[in-house]
Amino acid sequence: MDTLHIEATKFTPDILLDPEERLIRLVGKSYPENTFDFYAPVLEWLQNYFEIESSEDTTIELEILYFNSSSSKLFFDLFDIVEDAHNRGHKIEVKWIYDVENESAEEAGEDYKDDFEMLNFHLVEK
Amino acid sequence: MREVDLLGALEEFVTGKTELSKDGLQDFAEVLLKEFKRKNRRLERILKQSDRQQIELDRYKTELEERVDEAVKEIKVLNNEIVETQKEILFTMGAIGETRSKETGNHVKRVAYYSYILAKKWGLSEESAKILRDASPMHDIGKVAIPDTILNKPGPLTANEFKIIQEHAEIGYDLLKHSKRPLLQTASIVAHEHHEKWDGSGYPRGLKGEEIHIYGRITAIADVFDALGSDRVYKQAWKLDRILTLFREDSGKHFDPELVDIFFDNLDEFLKIRSNFRDETNDSSY
Repeated sequence: MDTLHIEATKFTPDILLDPEERLIRLVGKSYPENTFDFYAPVLEWLQNYFEIESSEDTTIELEILYFNSSSSKLFFDLFDIVEDAHNRGHKIEVKWIYDVENESAEEAGEDYKDDFEMLNFHLVEK
Repeated sequence: MREVDLLGALEEFVTGKTELSKDGLQDFAEVLLKEFKRKNRRLERILKQSDRQQIELDRYKTELEERVDEAVKEIKVLNNEIVETQKEILFTMGAIGETRSKETGNHVKRVAYYSYILAKKWGLSEESAKILRDASPMHDIGKVAIPDTILNKPGPLTANEFKIIQEHAEIGYDLLKHSKRPLLQTASIVAHEHHEKWDGSGYPRGLKGEEIHIYGRITAIADVFDALGSDRVYKQAWKLDRILTLFREDSGKHFDPELVDIFFDNLDEFLKIRSNFRDETNDSSY
């Protein structure tokens, strides 16, 4: 399975999906012009990853500074895929990383942690 | 259960593809209800995220506006500082020219204000009148290049000495003409043309009538009015009556007649300036 790397733009985060390191990382802002089109390859990659790869430990890091409401919906979809994989026996650690001064990022992280109570979901203060 | 699977199951049930027992139906309804509640909560959270972004955006906007306001204020202060510095330098340079010929700093101040009044009454814009006011102190800057022995000679000048003194107009112009700043450009015109005369008998170029820039015509009146009313090394201050007589006689000869009319119409204002910026050594009376 290939690594997928999408470089950051003014409106989209840096996305690294690395099957060798078993690392899924999104860092930056998320205001794509068309959120669902933009993230479609990411969601597809994740579905393939959890189907193909073994259930060894996978780390997911999200450090999203600011994001729009369609990204908010998108992250629910993303965590649905992760939760599904978790339910099928994958060992996954989710780290929601936020800056101590970025209150809205912290609150959003709390909302995801609350919704996906089955997941190993950590809020990590930077 | 994933959304897509759940919807699929629901569709199969609704279209009759799947039949459910009473217990099965109960379980399915529970799953649906649980999922419905979860989705509903998510929807609220997505809306909350939208609200948070709105608040952030508003905070940024307010912060940015405050910063722009502060920056604009600072620019205004700095700009004012630049303008004031320019004026101060011009005034000081003008005063240097005057002190070399034993005139006082008040002479340049009076000439500045006389010029301003004439400019305004003649019809120049407030901005141009102010620029002329601030530039007119430079009218004699060329005198820095004239030897003291000639400038301060108490007796009558020889023809050659007079010729040398006259060079101050061209010298002043040459000193200032290279600048593109409106203030210095105005100063260069004033330095160049304040000794030109309406009938063409002035110097350095012998310009006539409206060939002489309005700045030059204005400063000529302002400078002569003040010079005649002040003591100089070569003469006593004239009495006001004598000065006014000269202006009447020289209207249309030395001076622009329209400006002389303006001068007489507003004589009170000129006299007020003269008394406000009186030289301590100036014993002229009127």
